[in-house]
Amino acid sequence: MEALRDEPLWTPAVQRPRSLHEAWELKRTFGRDGVYVAGSTLLRTQWEAGTVSMPKSLIDLRGIEDLADIDEDGGGLSIGALADLSRCRRSAALGHMAPAVQEAVRCIAAPAVRNLATIGGNIASGYGDCLPALLVCDAELAVFDGKFLSRRRVEEWLADRWSGMHPQEDILTGIWLAPPAGPAGSRRIEIFRKVGRREAFTPSLVTVAIGCFIDSEGRLSGVKIAAGGGSGRPQRLDIAEAVLEGASIGKEQLASVFEAVVTQFETYGDPFATVEYKKKTAGNLIVAELWKALEGSAGKGDH
Amino acid sequence: MLDKYAANPGDRDNLPESARDAEENRCALGGAEAMQGMPNNPDCADASLPAEPGETLITLSCRINGQPVTAEVPPSRRLLTVLREEFGLTGTKRSCELGRCGACMVLIDGRPVNSCLTMAYQCEGAGITTIEGLSGGGLHPVQQAFLEEGGFQCGYCTPGMVISVVALLSENPKPAPEEVEEALSGNLCRCTGYGGIMRAVNKAIEKGVG
Repeated sequence: MEALRDEPLWTPAVQRPRSLHEAWELKRTFGRDGVYVAGSTLLRTQWEAGTVSMPKSLIDLRGIEDLADIDEDGGGLSIGALADLSRCRRSAALGHMAPAVQEAVRCIAAPAVRNLATIGGNIASGYGDCLPALLVCDAELAVFDGKFLSRRRVEEWLADRWSGMHPQEDILTGIWLAPPAGPAGSRRIEIFRKVGRREAFTPSLVTVAIGCFIDSEGRLSGVKIAAGGGSGRPQRLDIAEAVLEGASIGKEQLASVFEAVVTQFETYGDPFATVEYKKKTAGNLIVAELWKALEGSAGKGDH
Repeated sequence: MLDKYAANPGDRDNLPESARDAEENRCALGGAEAMQGMPNNPDCADASLPAEPGETLITLSCRINGQPVTAEVPPSRRLLTVLREEFGLTGTKRSCELGRCGACMVLIDGRPVNSCLTMAYQCEGAGITTIEGLSGGGLHPVQQAFLEEGGFQCGYCTPGMVISVVALLSENPKPAPEEVEEALSGNLCRCTGYGGIMRAVNKAIEKGVG
């Protein structure tokens, strides 16, 4: 009978703030006993798995206006943190502005989960599969700190998130994507790839993302490469980027890129995949996608 | 553990699933017996789950299979539990409870969601459709297609599969094969009867369901 899991004998209270200020104050009052929620799909699985305790209070952000909007604004794209992943998956504007992000969204969970889960929740976890894609798109995150709403680059936000330095009360309110601007005559390449233990609806083992411009002579510029996966920290791979910046893709560069990725990518082993396997997988994915780009048949996300 | 469960009369989940469903005389695909569920049972229209001491309750008001209902429930109670234990709608299946298998799929405002991941407070004011409420009587055409094509073996995943297909075809009546695969990617058939399931989906598409 122990195999039968039931719900805990108590459930948290739900707070329903109507403004960012109110939500922020509630979090400050509750401290670790209160958690911001929206779709709560990740949190629910963590509670069920016993990896995270159910808090005493849920601070439901869904009652705050405008946090789920997707708006084209000043040439860029603003995505509210509470936009659900299905909406992001269908957004033509997101597909145009940041195809790698949209592909990452497509690869998260399954449609029914994406109907509940929000892009903000995926990011706020600190390791969601959107993050490598956002890193190569130079995205910024809008954060409310109790007084002001400010934008921070994803890399900076991640650094604080993983160092534990960011104030727990901060509220992620949205994502800002500027239109990618490359040299005249160049075209944008954006790629996201995910490898899990099965083909679909599976947590990631390794994710990679590539963003760059390629000119008519095959030279690359603005190269950004990132990797993550599982609950590991998403990270830029700047050694591999440096190999490719200003270069044309050739076999020699690809060999160097592979070595750079395997050397720099910091990840973790688990019972199903060793560190070495994940490093090699990241290297192979990146090189394979670059090769496809060279062949003029880049994978999903290329435009 | 046994004593704890035995002490809760509403906790039928101690029984093997097949025994519970047999006891309640409902079948996975729906039909006349399944339609004896909540919508036709006035005793189930208002319900309340027992709360633990100190637990806060909310009054959940929503529509289930077209019928307005209220229930006094803890706010973070799983919708799956509310449907099965409060309203007797056991066509919605309990399985992984982690959003991984799709057996508990229902429609909320027309969109498929995993009821094991959905909390009661998130359903306030929503329109929920379970497998029992897909059609006003008889079988929904997607259910009929599953029957005709043998789209199930043990049948445990079937309500979730049917819900996902209904949602897909109502939004996209002529989906491409890869769109069908994506739409059903959250529904696992542990009997691996995917061949029959895909035939059923294709038949529903051919019949113009949606």
